[in-house]
Amino acid sequence: MTPATPRRSPARPTGAGRTRPDDHRTLALLVGAAGAVVTVVAALVALSWSAELPDPVAIHWGTGGADGFASLGAAVAGSTALGLVTSAGFAAMMAFLGRSAANRRVAAGVAVGIPVMLAVLTLGSLWIQRGLADAHDVGGVSVVTAVALGTGLLVGVVVGVLVPGDRPDPTDAEVADDAPRVALRPGERAAWVGRASGGPTVLVAMGAIVLTTVLALVLREWALLLVPVVLGLLLAAMMSWVVRVDEGGLSVRSTLGFPRTRVPADEVVRADVADVSPMRDFGGWGWRAGRDGAVGIVVRAGESLRVERTGGRALVVTVDDAGTAAALLNTLADRARRIG
Amino acid sequence: MFRIDPQADEPLFAQLVSQVRLGVVQGRLAPGERLPAARELAEALDVNVHTVLRAYQELRDEGLVDLRRGRGAVVMAPAAVDLTSLRAAVDRVAAEARALALPPETVLTLVKEALR
Repeated sequence: MTPATPRRSPARPTGAGRTRPDDHRTLALLVGAAGAVVTVVAALVALSWSAELPDPVAIHWGTGGADGFASLGAAVAGSTALGLVTSAGFAAMMAFLGRSAANRRVAAGVAVGIPVMLAVLTLGSLWIQRGLADAHDVGGVSVVTAVALGTGLLVGVVVGVLVPGDRPDPTDAEVADDAPRVALRPGERAAWVGRASGGPTVLVAMGAIVLTTVLALVLREWALLLVPVVLGLLLAAMMSWVVRVDEGGLSVRSTLGFPRTRVPADEVVRADVADVSPMRDFGGWGWRAGRDGAVGIVVRAGESLRVERTGGRALVVTVDDAGTAAALLNTLADRARRIG
Repeated sequence: MFRIDPQADEPLFAQLVSQVRLGVVQGRLAPGERLPAARELAEALDVNVHTVLRAYQELRDEGLVDLRRGRGAVVMAPAAVDLTSLRAAVDRVAAEARALALPPETVLTLVKEALR
């Protein structure tokens, strides 16, 4: 005979036991260490080449070739310091602003991706100087730059994808009475779809894309064309979003299809309209981590939808008609509680 | 926001059509505004995509939206017709009806007959 099924354990209070700061703080430490290891190994490899390198080495290139020089030690020290500061800084961000998986992913990607890019840049630019008596004779660095950019980006994205997502964290707690609602008849279905796009950064990014394209064409440095391509992809991925509220909850998806994020209706604590100042609240535009740990999808200043989520998480999207979206999301969150 | 009530008598696509029509009349949907992609809206409302497409086609036939491949359904600017004299005529009809103490339904029926 099978033993009687145990009584269902009482519902956990909102988000309890799910935040698990220790979990992602250990991971943050690991990520920071990975960035630091990459940086230090690159520095050691670079220093081991000292016998084959000219003194001083070229560290800066202009339109006419190398135009800035330094001792090998100084050259390596600079990029090593930058690599270490980046990995430590973004690992700290992951540890302290990482309640939401989205923030952990971005921080981890940058904490490893930038040191990788710097390491490839340093090693690559030194590699092409091996065997030279005078660093003035070195060729261009556009291929090295392109490879470094590509590798850094790739590694960053892979690390970001590998970071575990948030576990489901539903709540039974009611949405607050003072949160906005819409009137829905029982059985009536409702959905809200909005777009977040435009903003000042589109112009800036377009300018940068045109500028780097022209630069690459004028200099006939074809590898540099990778820069506007990457910028274009970034612009497309970060500056146009489809925001949807339906029975399942809230979903925000880049027009490209990726990145995307979702807040299930049963994880919505409450939704409201908020006023966003991109620089003050999120330090810029795009997919951001806010000062308070909120995940921000920020394309402009002003009206936005702010969703408080279980586990002390929050998601902010700058979108028009946010009041309707918030009210509908609260109403559907009520429904999710009744079903659940 | 779009809502549908599967229990209502009005077909689902017609419910969507009347919401957009109302939105345009009330100015909530401005000319140039893009309606959600049909597939997106269908998924969100958990209805067949053909229901939404049928609604959009109906709206296009009424001249309320423009359907273009790749751009989706865009709200059109209402045709620039001068309605001043029509409004004045409607006001006169309303005044006459009030003077005769006719119920609104009767007046509407007469107007509908005349429009046939």
